[in-house]
Amino acid sequence: MAEQNGLRRLIHTVRSAGFGESPGLNRGDLVASEDALQALLANPALASTRLTWARPGESVRIVKILDSIEPRTKGAGGAGMFPGFLGPALPQGTGETHVLRGVAVVVAGKLPRAQEGMVQMSGPAAELSFLGATNNLVIEFEPAEDAGWPQVDEALRLGAMRVAVALADLALEAEPDEVHDLAPLNPGTGGSLPRVGAIVNLQTQGAFKDVFVYGRTMAASMPTAIDPNELDDGAVVSGQYGHPGLKNPTFVHQNNPVVAALRDRDGKDLVFGGLILSPEPVDQTLKELTSAHAARMARQMGLDAVIVTKEGGGNADSDISLKIDAFEAMGLVGIGIFAEMSGPDGTGPPVVGPPTTATAMVSTGNYDERITLDAVDRALGGEIVDLNGLDAAAEMVLPVAAIYGSLSPIGLGRLTCATEVTA
Amino acid sequence: MPIAIRVGAPRVVPTRGIPYPTGDPALGPKEEKAWRRLLVQTALRAISTPVNKPTVFKPGELTT
Amino acid sequence: MKVVHYVNQFFAGVGGEEKATVGPEVREAPTGPGRKLASLLGDEHQIVATVFCGDDYAASNDAAPAEILELIKATGAEMLVSGPAFTSGRYGIACGRVAAAAHKAGLVALAAMHAENPGVAEAAPAPVVATGLTAREMGATLEKVALAVKKLASGQTLTPEDGLVGSIPRRNRLAESNAAARAVDLALTRLAGDRSATEIPMPDFGAVAPAGPVTDPSKALIALLTEGGLVPAGNPGRLESARATKWLRYPLEELPGLEEGSHVSVHGGFSTVVANENPNRILPLDVARELKDEGAIGSLYAEYFVTTGNGTSVADGARYGVEWAAELRKQGVQAAILTST
Repeated sequence: MAEQNGLRRLIHTVRSAGFGESPGLNRGDLVASEDALQALLANPALASTRLTWARPGESVRIVKILDSIEPRTKGAGGAGMFPGFLGPALPQGTGETHVLRGVAVVVAGKLPRAQEGMVQMSGPAAELSFLGATNNLVIEFEPAEDAGWPQVDEALRLGAMRVAVALADLALEAEPDEVHDLAPLNPGTGGSLPRVGAIVNLQTQGAFKDVFVYGRTMAASMPTAIDPNELDDGAVVSGQYGHPGLKNPTFVHQNNPVVAALRDRDGKDLVFGGLILSPEPVDQTLKELTSAHAARMARQMGLDAVIVTKEGGGNADSDISLKIDAFEAMGLVGIGIFAEMSGPDGTGPPVVGPPTTATAMVSTGNYDERITLDAVDRALGGEIVDLNGLDAAAEMVLPVAAIYGSLSPIGLGRLTCATEVTA
Repeated sequence: MPIAIRVGAPRVVPTRGIPYPTGDPALGPKEEKAWRRLLVQTALRAISTPVNKPTVFKPGELTT
Repeated sequence: MKVVHYVNQFFAGVGGEEKATVGPEVREAPTGPGRKLASLLGDEHQIVATVFCGDDYAASNDAAPAEILELIKATGAEMLVSGPAFTSGRYGIACGRVAAAAHKAGLVALAAMHAENPGVAEAAPAPVVATGLTAREMGATLEKVALAVKKLASGQTLTPEDGLVGSIPRRNRLAESNAAARAVDLALTRLAGDRSATEIPMPDFGAVAPAGPVTDPSKALIALLTEGGLVPAGNPGRLESARATKWLRYPLEELPGLEEGSHVSVHGGFSTVVANENPNRILPLDVARELKDEGAIGSLYAEYFVTTGNGTSVADGARYGVEWAAELRKQGVQAAILTST
């Protein structure tokens, strides 16, 4: 049994995934029933859906990627997974959670305001996206003729969650490969170790550019404290389809990398002291209010240092800068994770809205640098790449920003940028 | 103004708009001239004040 | 590697200022400083041609870099070297633009000039090696250029140790750990007392030590300055609307204030309609005169200095500042009010 009020995470590592007649998870071999999953996607807003696996190493490109989700469940049908969507909006982050590691449910197709993001399943570009290393169950769709776009969006979001839970349900009886017992955050001081925490900025710019907490938009909210274990159970869900390289899909919130890094070192060289979710308001006055408030909360948590992450482009830089400047002004340490925008040749100013006094910045790479994607055998998600009008399977040169999650501003990727001083 | 501070200008008087540093076309002629006079007076106060780092002098304030 | 060398009309031996308007031409051999460079390069790299152009033509004609590039490509060279231009502004700009055009066309390109030459900013993404101030340092400069040519020709990139100046490109690469883990490392490094650790450097504008205060403005000589591109009607000194390569000085004596029509802003970074209706909105001469007449200001310096702060490189801006300060000090000015757009 998990620790009182804690979460037991049961990790099932998936080595191969496909459709078949006898669904189940057997020694890392995942077999799912295509018909059963299709039935979960049925919705009046969708005329049709198609399910296809795209696996690491295959000559496949997925274009027009919207959200992606890691399959997880707390019991048959979810049993509380994705609170506010599949279950009631009640606090989660306790009990047991089964995780299918190495699998993602990926929605791909056209929605309004969505910006084209893609992943290549083979070659060097595969390394730039977390989806390059997972067995991806891709959901393609045709909207119903009379359906409004918000209904289509909602149908896809709920359908993808149901598919993710159903896949994870296949592991309920399987022996896990790893078991993690995750205590809730300790309110104590941690003795002589420094208290370090995180502020996770969520992009909140209305329909198709929104993020949900317990099923509700974070847009009009003030910053709020949350336990990291709640993230594990899908308390934060993405409906944000802008900025492919700079977005934080649901998969990334489920696996928040700053939380993972702080958990790794909790009790060793730091105490994981707190986690705050904050909206990214559009209005400058609200940005300042929200940032000052988040910095104050972090101080009330007794944090000595805080790591601030963002979602979105240059506008969202100021949501980091304002917070770390405010934190630094209180004599504490603020760290920002930024993507650079220094132009295709890397000679422009790296950050559009850098902090004024807080100068500790981690780089997730230059947004504008070009990469070449080799031609592939087949493409999923669409036939044409809207960015350049090319066939979706063709060889193409693109800014790295077009790769889904490539510049992960929540810190999931290894991409970074440095001044070129050696050959 | 944030740029002036960042590049290290020692004494800075913030004004109202990039295209009219010592004006404000939203005001009437008399009021605008009074505003410009206040800006220059603030600048005179700034140059008579010792500073050791980039410092902002707001128009009309008597002390820093 | 086959190298083509770009120089101006003076170093090509065509003539001085009177020949600054000549268009681009080719000589099928090393010319002027190219002869010494060719001997420094030895047998491995040959200067197959020299392309030259008059300074005025090359720096003030937008089509010039493309025309020069056509001549460069026709020589069949794989590499371009431009300069050294030392501190010559028009020549430096031409060297920078030609190097940038050659780089974009796929040639290996290198420019050479003084670190504060405005042409440094024009060369990116082609590299620039720094030179001394004047052609008196030609010998040492060409040795440095020759080393840089050999290094670039071997496929290596230049470093500040090679004399590389200007914006050094930042390039993507994969780190050992993800950004989140590195952020935790950085937090602990900062908490341990290292207040400067970062992966992204803040732009470094250097430090300016503030001057001491003026004891009494009512006895001081005060100057008015602007980077708002404000010039007498007709723009007699041909101040640029962007990337200004110079600053100018104009008289203020006898003027009670600035009038609509007497002065205009040539700044290209904003709409100048409002400024031109009343130029005191850029340079507050009317109220400064009043304050002088009332005794709040001792006296006003008889000229104003002006440049255009629009896309101006930090190096140029800093150079104008140094020159202004030196000139004002020489004239006995104790304080200056500089308006910024």
